[in-house]
Amino acid sequence: MKRIASYALRMILYFILVAPLLLFIAYAFSTRWFFPQPFPIEWTLTTFQRAIDDSRTLSSMAQGIWIAVLVSLLSLILALPTARVLGLRKFRGRQLAWLLLFLPTVIPPLAIGMGLNILFLRIGLAGTIAGVVLAHIIPTLPYTIFTLSSAYARFDENYEFQALALGASPWNIFFKVTLRMLAPSLVVATLFAFLISWSQYLLTLLIGGGQVITLPILLFSAASGGNPATIANLSLLFIAPPILVIAATARQLNQHGNEIREQY
Amino acid sequence: MTTVNINSLNKTYPNQPAPVLKDFSLSINDGEMVALLGPSGMGKSTLLKLITGIERPDSGDIQFDGSSILNVDPNKRGAVLMFQKSYLFPFLTVEDNIGFGLKVQRASPETIRGEVKRMLDLIGLPGIEKRKVGQLSGGEGQRVALARALVTNPKLLLLDEPLSSLDTEVRMNLQEAIRVIQRELGVTTTFVTHDLGEAMAMSDRMALLLNGEIVALDKPETLFHRPRSMAAAKFMGVSTFLNGDQLPVKCEARSLSQKLFAIRPEHIRVQKDGCEQSVQGVVSDCVFRGEYVEYQVAVDGTTVRARMPMPASMFPHGEQVYVKFPREHLFEVQN
Amino acid sequence: MRDKSIFTPWISLAPALTVILVMLGASLFYAIAESLGFISVIGQGDISFSAYRATLAADSEFWVSLGFSLWISITSTFISSVIALALAVWLSSRNKESDTLALNWNLAFPHLVFAIALLLFLSQSGLFARWAASLGLIAAPDQFPILVRDRFGIGIILSYIGKEVPFLTLILLSVLRSQSIRYDVVAENLGASHWQRLRYVTIPQVLPALLAGDLLVFGFIFSSYEVPALLGVGYPRALPVLALRFFLDPDLRARSEGMVISLIITLIVILVAVISLRIGERQE
Repeated sequence: MKRIASYALRMILYFILVAPLLLFIAYAFSTRWFFPQPFPIEWTLTTFQRAIDDSRTLSSMAQGIWIAVLVSLLSLILALPTARVLGLRKFRGRQLAWLLLFLPTVIPPLAIGMGLNILFLRIGLAGTIAGVVLAHIIPTLPYTIFTLSSAYARFDENYEFQALALGASPWNIFFKVTLRMLAPSLVVATLFAFLISWSQYLLTLLIGGGQVITLPILLFSAASGGNPATIANLSLLFIAPPILVIAATARQLNQHGNEIREQY
Repeated sequence: MTTVNINSLNKTYPNQPAPVLKDFSLSINDGEMVALLGPSGMGKSTLLKLITGIERPDSGDIQFDGSSILNVDPNKRGAVLMFQKSYLFPFLTVEDNIGFGLKVQRASPETIRGEVKRMLDLIGLPGIEKRKVGQLSGGEGQRVALARALVTNPKLLLLDEPLSSLDTEVRMNLQEAIRVIQRELGVTTTFVTHDLGEAMAMSDRMALLLNGEIVALDKPETLFHRPRSMAAAKFMGVSTFLNGDQLPVKCEARSLSQKLFAIRPEHIRVQKDGCEQSVQGVVSDCVFRGEYVEYQVAVDGTTVRARMPMPASMFPHGEQVYVKFPREHLFEVQN
Repeated sequence: MRDKSIFTPWISLAPALTVILVMLGASLFYAIAESLGFISVIGQGDISFSAYRATLAADSEFWVSLGFSLWISITSTFISSVIALALAVWLSSRNKESDTLALNWNLAFPHLVFAIALLLFLSQSGLFARWAASLGLIAAPDQFPILVRDRFGIGIILSYIGKEVPFLTLILLSVLRSQSIRYDVVAENLGASHWQRLRYVTIPQVLPALLAGDLLVFGFIFSSYEVPALLGVGYPRALPVLALRFFLDPDLRARSEGMVISLIITLIVILVAVISLRIGERQE
């Protein structure tokens, strides 16, 4: 008896967790679903197609992807040397370095965004993709550094010594040995940076100033408007990358702890 | 103060073909300390889990003082377990750890305090009530764990290799301490170990476990000097078994050749000259072990392992020697 | 590699550190400056504390929003903690990977999306309203209770709960599952009943992690914009929403006030973080 109750509760839990997705699908792929019908009656692909074909949707998605890619790359480049030192070396001031690098997780994006808004206006980066990319680096960098430093902490430098002894050049060592051994964590770090940038709303709003429009911004204004089908469609498009990423990295995420996901 | 009867326990795990415990039966007398000796993975830990109620047997019964405990909740059985790691609650002090069993019985704070003090005196660590668990050494931690187990006056004390992770000297001290405390309190105890010396030092009786079954059960001295089966003998470190035919003695009766004899390595003599009860052999190895010399001698196609107490001659590899099996130390074993 | 002097690590740290410190520093500088009316978009002004005075005035909307934000944050955090604790204890007895997968799955949804889903569920013409109507409980949309975009922030609180419960549960689960033998088994062996194990063993075990998680969650909710902006009403407004509205106002004085509010939010969040660090240190 206890087992049946436990099983039922578990199913309810899973259902609650899946429910939003189901709801979006219901709204997105149905038509003429009005109050007070409890379930959609007519299914169609037209609303979804229209949403995808809409030029604003497409361009905002494209911009979002483009920005996220740039942010991931830049984050990686900045994080790699940082993570290496933090993961492998003990030095005076290490605590301080960690503290400083993780400041962005403590300071609310609201304050950061507002301040940057003024700064970027002054230096002409407001409303540009470059400005948005720069701004997005701030929340992503701590997590990239964190992920990679854990990887480096587990990394045995002797592999690099071996390569050196066998005659490899520094470039070769880095690309053929180090990066390959760090590959799983690299992937996780990159995907995370991508997701964090992809889902940014406030920073994009404040820095983009209405000229850089990504999907979350579109989604937000649609949600304030009220057409459920549009909202659902945009939502589905918005959560597609996160779902794919989480599905692909689920196992590794469990090891990396939960702190990473809070910013989300 | 409890008599324990374990009757015909059977337990098989779903992912393993062979049963972990097969028709396992054991009786432990009131106040007795029984050792369960055997190689790892032979069902010893499973037995303890069945007694404490963490798992249920497929069939069989366990009785305390004549009544079955199988339907008693695990937290009410009075069978308290002590593990290899102390598992002291890291978020409680020493005194809160020891007093835990009383606290859940809703004993008064004064009672708890008094009992904790009594326990600390008993385990030889007075005054450390307020210490944090992290500040204790390995040996101290296990003593506190013992106190924690004993404070509730358990019906049965179960020790699952509690000393395995300790240094030798600490281990010896703790062996003695546990023995003394157990005798003083008269707690019925069973403990699991894979260390022969430890089992012999601490137990009133020893049970030898092989493949989920008890192969021998007797007092340590008896098992040591006169194990009755070949399996038990091997457990006790006997490696030399001889058919009646191989014996270098005059056979009094024909029936001797059907029987199997064994002799402890300490009683086998390796000497330069032959005599009445000796056979010829060639030394294949000779190792100095401090208190004795260990010999491996090839005799008649088999290898005989002998231990000669110092001072002993050390014959080099390849030397021709004679191996003597003194008649008074030969004993019969069943196969 | 060869022994390097103590200066070299900082060279490797320099790129990331520079980017972060420069941007944060500049952002902070301009934030403070704006709050003092010193620099505004069109040019220099004079240093003045008028924005601070206006914000902290007794009749300012700031206090209302502060109260509202505290209400949302504390309630969401508290309810999430209780549910997460119950969930973690229940799930820890069976080590199923599907549980962690399901919880991780929820984390894939950004807060914004979850809030939107809640909107579609709970609005007066939403899914639950439709079910209620088809069951004959109500006749028209406006008979369904207002659960989102309401004055008490119910929708906001529900949205945060829905996202923070899995997060906190995962934290607690990782604590409970990290031991090779669970202390509650030891406690049971010593005679503790189910509730006693919960009270004397499980909760003390997870309390440090729970506390840290709670403070993190509180700080996050308190300073987050998206959810209260989407699911809130015109009055009372959450503090971040108020701050942004003021900041985007063409009126320069309002902009300064918006900055002040934002800085106050930041201060409170940093305070919470420091408290969390102190507690964490005392544990060691």
